[in-house]
Amino acid sequence: MSTQTVVEPEPAATPPAPKRRVTSLEVLCVVLVVALLAQGRLVQWLDVPAIQTGATIFVAVCVQALPFLVLGVLISGAIAAFVPASALNRLLPKRQSVAVPVAGLAGVALPTCECAAVPVARRLMQQGVPTSVALAFLLAAPAVNPVVLVATNVAFPNNPGMVAARLVGSLATAVVMGWLWARFGKAEWIIERALRRLPEPDGRSRWRLFFETSRADLVDAGGFLVLGGLTAAVLNVVIPRAWVDTLGEQIVLGVLVMAVLAVVLALCSEADAFVAASISGMPLLPKLVFLVVGPAIDVKLFALQAGTFGRSFAIRFAPATLVVALVCAVLSGLLFLGGA
Amino acid sequence: MRRETQNILLVLVGGALLKISLTGAYLQYVKPSHQFWLIGGGAVMVALAVISIGRDLIGPRRDPAAADTPAHGAADPAVHAAAVPDSAVHAAVGLDPAGRTAVGQDSAGHAGPESESQAAADHGPDSHGSAGHGPAGQAAADHGSADHDSAGHDHGDGTHDHPARSAWLLLLPVLAIFLIAPPALGADSVLRGDNRAAASRAAGSDGMVAFSPLPAGSPVPVPMSEFAARAAWDSGNSLTNRDVQLSGFVVAQDTDVYLARLSIACCAADAFPVKVKLVGQGTAGLANDTWLEVVGRVEPGTATKENDYIPTLTVSSITEIPQPENPYEG
Repeated sequence: MSTQTVVEPEPAATPPAPKRRVTSLEVLCVVLVVALLAQGRLVQWLDVPAIQTGATIFVAVCVQALPFLVLGVLISGAIAAFVPASALNRLLPKRQSVAVPVAGLAGVALPTCECAAVPVARRLMQQGVPTSVALAFLLAAPAVNPVVLVATNVAFPNNPGMVAARLVGSLATAVVMGWLWARFGKAEWIIERALRRLPEPDGRSRWRLFFETSRADLVDAGGFLVLGGLTAAVLNVVIPRAWVDTLGEQIVLGVLVMAVLAVVLALCSEADAFVAASISGMPLLPKLVFLVVGPAIDVKLFALQAGTFGRSFAIRFAPATLVVALVCAVLSGLLFLGGA
Repeated sequence: MRRETQNILLVLVGGALLKISLTGAYLQYVKPSHQFWLIGGGAVMVALAVISIGRDLIGPRRDPAAADTPAHGAADPAVHAAAVPDSAVHAAVGLDPAGRTAVGQDSAGHAGPESESQAAADHGPDSHGSAGHGPAGQAAADHGSADHDSAGHDHGDGTHDHPARSAWLLLLPVLAIFLIAPPALGADSVLRGDNRAAASRAAGSDGMVAFSPLPAGSPVPVPMSEFAARAAWDSGNSLTNRDVQLSGFVVAQDTDVYLARLSIACCAADAFPVKVKLVGQGTAGLANDTWLEVVGRVEPGTATKENDYIPTLTVSSITEIPQPENPYEG
């Protein structure tokens, strides 16, 4: 593997060093070599149906989401390098209470999945966009973009109200959360690193900044995405699906069950409509809750947010998002689906 | 985590994405249309890492003027340390002057006393004049980040280490893909899931619809989800008295034997099963996860709400087949 050739000169370079620490490069090598040597045993040891199912789901979530994360960090890097903070400030209305809905609508135009929205939102904050506005974008972009709405329409061909209900429910969630943050949010909940302002790059260093920020964001967020995928895979295998059917018949219980399921399954927002549609014997309202809650908050997003904005942000923001999304979905459902 | 380690991890993850997308193994995890995303994503990951490695190796050499002027050299890292938020990047750019000095030493054959002291002034105690070992670029890169590692701790800012540690998790999908290569979901996933039928989804409704007639031929190959949908919802009974050919894998549940296929909308995490109950000769004793091509006729009226719309197929012939390239139905 390519790693070995890179590392060989390492030990030779050590003798004159005053103190010696094991570097991450050496750790990586040891891990890779051990994994290679133990491959046979590892495969044998993991040859349990439940673990294999979990491993497949884990790889599937990672493989499915990583390209979107790459897209997100490229957008984030481009904003950092090529969009001056002053331009963003000119574009957005001066008053936060007006800028929040504008950012929510801007999310409609950007067909990113939820993993891509996190680094972009952080970059917006660094470029001086108010936190509440960036958070409204974070919640709106994955939920209401055209790709997702078309997928929803395809999954529910006989319920055109579903698309409108989803659009309004998700947009309302984003705007309400933005306003709530503007009113109650505290900047110190977000780790300082995520908010540090970038100075304006000059012409020569623009590309360098683009590559460097993209790369660093990818390394940063990638780890947390994997953590989220791992959590989703474990929960996917551990939680018996049977209770969805038995509890789903009751409307109030069904709403709660579907909200929890949306958080636990961590599906891509482009796919969740098909999953919701496939659950038979469930009224439309709980399905709508599933569609509104899922893109706003799930275990994968929680891991990403905790890594990007800090833990004290995530443990406040995530539960609040869950409650607001639940309420918005129910209200929107009553409005567009007539409680059906 | 050191910058080189991060780059290697990115190359490994990107390489893993490229590998599965080019060998076709990706079909066990995501749907076919995802291939271009995987190739693009993998290529960008590898490219970002390669650009960064290349900059570490070549960058210092390309800019000899800057290395000669201490004033410039000192201004440079200051700008970038402020410019770039993360410890990782900080490390990256911070190594610039170190790299320059080290390479300078190397190409000069041996460091004179002046440049030695210059290096020490730049990097503090961590700088060891070891540029003579190994290729110049490697030594330069080593030097720079060893330097930073301690600088990062001097910051006294606990959060600095945190994001770097999480990057180790990127190793998990790499190991999973290269070493374990998890198989496509099969009987275990079907048995684990509930009995949700895909019938309603394929038909796009929960009520009777008139389907277009089946194409001519006998037996007619039909996708499992379409078969289930027609059996449950077709007001024209297009399946009645027609020999159909289905392919799927065996799931034995209690005393019954089912032919099953998983249907995915995006990735394997959202897979849900389509099942058809098999009756007739040769259906007993089939092992789970055996892939079969089955020819038979539907028993009309067997897909009801009570059995979760699972139709029954009277089998006339069973052939064992290898797992298809795309094990899922879209």
